[in-house]
Amino acid sequence: MVGCGALAEIYYAPVVQELQADGLAEMSVLCDPDVSRLKKLRTPFAMAAAKNRIEEVVAAKPDLAIVASPPRFHAEQTIALLDAGISVLCEKPMAATVPEAEAMIAAAEKASVPMAIGLFRRFFPVNRTIRDLVRNGNLGAVRRFEISEGGAFQWPAQSASFFQKSASQGGVLADVGVHVLDLILWWFGMPERVRYEDDAMGGLEANCRMELSFPGGVSGTVRLSRDTALQNQTVIEFERGWVRCAAAAANEMEIGFAGAEFAVAGQVRKTEGPRAPHSLPGDSSHQSFARQLRSFLVAVRGEGPVEVPGPEGIRSLRLIESCYRQRTLMEMPWLSPGEKAHASALAQSVAEP
Amino acid sequence: MKIAVLGASGFVGSRVVEMLALSEEREQVRPVVRSFGGLARLARFALDWRMADATNETALVRALEGCDAVVHSVMGTFATIERSIAPSYRAACRAGVKRMVYLSTASVHGQAPPMGTDERSPLSDRQATEYNNCKVRAERLLLAERKRGDTEAVILRPGIVFGPRDRWVTGITRDLRSGTDFLVNGGLGICNTIYVDNLVHAIRLALVAPATGADREAFLVGDSESVTWADLHRMVAEELGIRNSEELILDVPAPRFLVTARDRFNGLHGHPVTQALLPKLPRSLKRSARAILNAWPEPRVPSPWAPTVGPAPVVTREMAELHQCPVKLPGEKVRRLLGYEAPVSLADGVRRSVAWLRWAGLVT
Repeated sequence: MVGCGALAEIYYAPVVQELQADGLAEMSVLCDPDVSRLKKLRTPFAMAAAKNRIEEVVAAKPDLAIVASPPRFHAEQTIALLDAGISVLCEKPMAATVPEAEAMIAAAEKASVPMAIGLFRRFFPVNRTIRDLVRNGNLGAVRRFEISEGGAFQWPAQSASFFQKSASQGGVLADVGVHVLDLILWWFGMPERVRYEDDAMGGLEANCRMELSFPGGVSGTVRLSRDTALQNQTVIEFERGWVRCAAAAANEMEIGFAGAEFAVAGQVRKTEGPRAPHSLPGDSSHQSFARQLRSFLVAVRGEGPVEVPGPEGIRSLRLIESCYRQRTLMEMPWLSPGEKAHASALAQSVAEP
Repeated sequence: MKIAVLGASGFVGSRVVEMLALSEEREQVRPVVRSFGGLARLARFALDWRMADATNETALVRALEGCDAVVHSVMGTFATIERSIAPSYRAACRAGVKRMVYLSTASVHGQAPPMGTDERSPLSDRQATEYNNCKVRAERLLLAERKRGDTEAVILRPGIVFGPRDRWVTGITRDLRSGTDFLVNGGLGICNTIYVDNLVHAIRLALVAPATGADREAFLVGDSESVTWADLHRMVAEELGIRNSEELILDVPAPRFLVTARDRFNGLHGHPVTQALLPKLPRSLKRSARAILNAWPEPRVPSPWAPTVGPAPVVTREMAELHQCPVKLPGEKVRRLLGYEAPVSLADGVRRSVAWLRWAGLVT
């Protein structure tokens, strides 16, 4: 485990403990420059060696490393591990920049070692159902989508890296936005036109809004915030119906049919077809997270594909960089005219090289 | 002037930071937050922030070093309201801060103060609303600290602070949409509003006003207009494009708030003296008290077989009293000594607040 912050503690530690209990994996090394964080993670993994530097992890030669450090360290650490023949599951965002992500992909190819990117929402039954509906055309062609996700920042961040330009390549777009954009790209492909605005005024955006258009006439908006609670839902309109789900919902959704009086809302379940005796509950958010790691273990053993490899992970990063390149300041209607002028000047000074 | 803002991630604190960061004067502002997460909104600006708990004097000294003034806008639990006063004031003194502006509340006079209430009216910390009591005690603590310290202290008592990200306009909007918006006794009581930008304007005046007349003084501060709660609800509805708000808003009679044994226990339990004594009491006594309380008959729960009804308004004691407030709190003192005139009209404040709701996608 490279990086022992809140993500490692809250998300990965319980999953690895499950894997240990199943005899599928064993936590062998914990790595973090912060001794207090190492101590915290030693509680569930008393047998794991505690290290401060990536070179020590490489020397320990684990079969698989999870890179959950701040994004600016992802490329350097991942490449060091891959070069040593160690498989890597690297958390999102894949890297701080596109060139860094490209270097990671090249390193994985050169070493012929599996590398996966931690975009675990692709494992949500809801998101897989949407992918199937889009691909199979069960509800006809997609017309439009609206996605909003946000609320007051609740993540128990253990450092200020989320909010420092020196440590993070962006604000809410580079954080939550990675998940949302990855799903959009997975469902609809690359957009042909993007308009992007945010509220960064010399710092990192807390709110942003995008309009995207895709070949074939699909268009949609994305609104993200780590400042205020939004509607928090995904709505996709098809020719013959629509789907709606709560933001970050793993296994619950609503499906409506054009012209029908009632919609269907409920649990998304795993099915073997209409003649199967019963269906099974779809994975929850936690189970989906666990499935991501279990799936990567299978890939590392050479028994299955890497579900989200580097070339998939880099796509949302490219889109994010393209957004930041064309950023404009959001209209903030509560500001006075004088404040708006200063806000524009601050935003402009950041946009200029 | 370098100004630190304690409680910078809150509704008022974050607008203080935003207005200072975007001001003509470009005053230097230093947000102080309790946790990294509190930086999310503030990090839109490249600011010199600090992290410190408002009850930790040592951390606060480091956070306030180099600042000329501090705005105390800390919320949190009732306990935090009181416990933050002495550490933050002492830290300001130790850091050489010249002035502290403390954000109290007009509620120190009660939600429905009597006619003739002004800043000289005596305050009680035995009111029905515990928040009021905490703020009364906080003011007293601050003035007591001021006697021993060099940092000047100015107290502001705003009324109903509304604006983007508030609880008031957002709440009225939510209730209008869910059919639960209500006015107690027609909402004919005075709503002592202050748009958040007007409050920040008052804070800035309080930061620079001459010490004679400002130091150790408390100021009621509000909007220029005198409006009822019914007026405010109607203005919000009109801004939302709702034309028949009179039909939508429920007129409810003022409920009688019976004080139950559990209420009395909870009130006593939450009191700081009780909290201090509790660890010293034997466990068996606490267990017995809890058992008696649990055995006390509770109000009957409606039958689950009753016909389904829509959501109903929840009329709290606070709201019932506010809606029956008989007075427009005076603005004479703040005008005379701080030179305060509200720069933003009530109508414009409501317009900007609803515009924020649209911006956040919470209304269309």
